[in-house]
Amino acid sequence: MWDLKEYRYASSPEDAVALLRKGPGRGMFIAGGTDLLLFPPACDFVVDVSRAGIDRLAATPDGDLFLGAAATLHTLTTDPLVTGFAGGAVSHAAAHCGNRPVRSTATLGGNLCNALPSADMAPVLIALDATCYIADVDNQESIPLVDFFTGPRRTVLGDRLLVGVALPAEAGRRVCRSRKLTRSAEDISLVQVAVALGMEGGRLDQVRIALGAVAPVPLRAGLAETALTDLDYHSDCTAAVADAAEIAAGECDPISDHRASAEYRRDMVRVLTGRLIAECLDDLRRGGNGGAA
Amino acid sequence: MTIELILDGKRTALEILPGQNLLQALRGASRFSVKLGCETGDCGSCTVLLDGEPVNSCVVAAARAAGRSVTTLEGLLGDPLMQRLQRELVDKGAVQCGYCSPGMLISLYALLKQDEAPTDRDVREALSGNLCRCTGYVKPVEAALAVAATLGGAS
Ligand SMILES: Cc1cc2nc3c(=O)[nH]c(=O)nc-3n(C[C@H](O)[C@H](O)[C@H](O)COP(=O)(O)OP(=O)(O)OC[C@H]3O[C@@H](n4cnc5c(N)ncnc54)[C@H](O)[C@@H]3O)c2cc1C
Ligand code: FES
Ligand code: FES
Repeated sequence: MWDLKEYRYASSPEDAVALLRKGPGRGMFIAGGTDLLLFPPACDFVVDVSRAGIDRLAATPDGDLFLGAAATLHTLTTDPLVTGFAGGAVSHAAAHCGNRPVRSTATLGGNLCNALPSADMAPVLIALDATCYIADVDNQESIPLVDFFTGPRRTVLGDRLLVGVALPAEAGRRVCRSRKLTRSAEDISLVQVAVALGMEGGRLDQVRIALGAVAPVPLRAGLAETALTDLDYHSDCTAAVADAAEIAAGECDPISDHRASAEYRRDMVRVLTGRLIAECLDDLRRGGNGGAA
Repeated sequence: MTIELILDGKRTALEILPGQNLLQALRGASRFSVKLGCETGDCGSCTVLLDGEPVNSCVVAAARAAGRSVTTLEGLLGDPLMQRLQRELVDKGAVQCGYCSPGMLISLYALLKQDEAPTDRDVREALSGNLCRCTGYVKPVEAALAVAATLGGAS
């Protein structure tokens, strides 16, 4: 059993940070606890953030979408605000994490803050230009999600709280698809790819290709994105798609382990990236969000 | 520490340890339908309802249940929907060794409470967290659909 001395409940984001800093000893935030109870880290106390008022989902009048850090993955799969954004791409990714009862408690914030290179929610949110909101006792900071991760299990947070992530309205109009490759449905991801494409006058614009589980942190395949930008998507794009997929494979930095070799992972980045771009192009030609795949 | 919760419909005070999981706390409170299987969130034999949602109690902190409602199979034995599910699982041969049955029943109960006309796919999704080594899943799915058919929703 997890050898904790104390379990504290935070009533607000500021309260959560204050309770964490109060000591004595080492404290951690706990949200759903699905990661922490599985691999209990050595610590003296935890601060429960599930009652800190950071579980809300909200849309601004301009159409930006805010996802509270303590929102559960199940909520993300079912809430109309999320299923209606970018063709439901975020809901699709959430629905493919864990199993139904795990998603009832597992949170978005826990998934991101745990910062496994294979955290399944990261690529799709990065492809949709997510911004993180981080709370200190007396101020809030916001940074792009892609800059949030600093290494395996490491983030910029320190002893601050992730309040949530915001997705810009413009990203909600992109076509977006994400996919993960696993050995069995419930195993952790070998490779994840998320592609989001915007358009401007018949040409591709705001191209995003985000990769997960193939580098110490989730990343964007910037060169592949550039290669696709301005492409006329009504033309025959076969060669351009194959090129972009090849470039993306060159941009990742996977490891070999007992699940798969680095070569295999890299090749699967190429395959999945190519497929997802082609599917997104089909969605665009059909004039909208194909969404969940 | 002591937490107060609604356990199987009754206001209850439970003595727990801060790092304990809900599974152990519930068995400590004589809810022996809550089975210990993997204790890693994979098998679903410990499934209970937390505020009506199915959760794997082995990966939920007991302290999280403070002020909330927790429902185990013991609390639903008199519930007509649960009784129909139990009957149908037995009739369809969906219970063999029975170790997974309480967890499956809770998952199916949660599904049918929220959706009276689930599809085959919905049922399979609802059972995505329940491993069964005996039945091969077909019979539990048939049983759930048979109960759903009596709830008025065609599937
Ligand atoms: C059976 C099973 C299957 C799983 N399958 C998947 C899967 O397919 N894909 C996947 O990606 N993950 C999977 N997971 C891992 C886990 O469920 C997810 O990562 C989940 O989203 C974690 O959220 P949580 O709220 O439970 O995190 P917690 O365990 O509560 O916390 C995780 C970490 O994040 C920190 N933290 C939590 N919230 C905040 C916050 N707001 N601010 C700062 N720090 C915070 C905690 O201190 C801790 O370090 C699985 C887990 C289980 C048990
Ligand atoms: S014992 Fe909880 S999921 Fe297996
Ligand atoms: S009946 Fe034996 S595990 Fe399901």
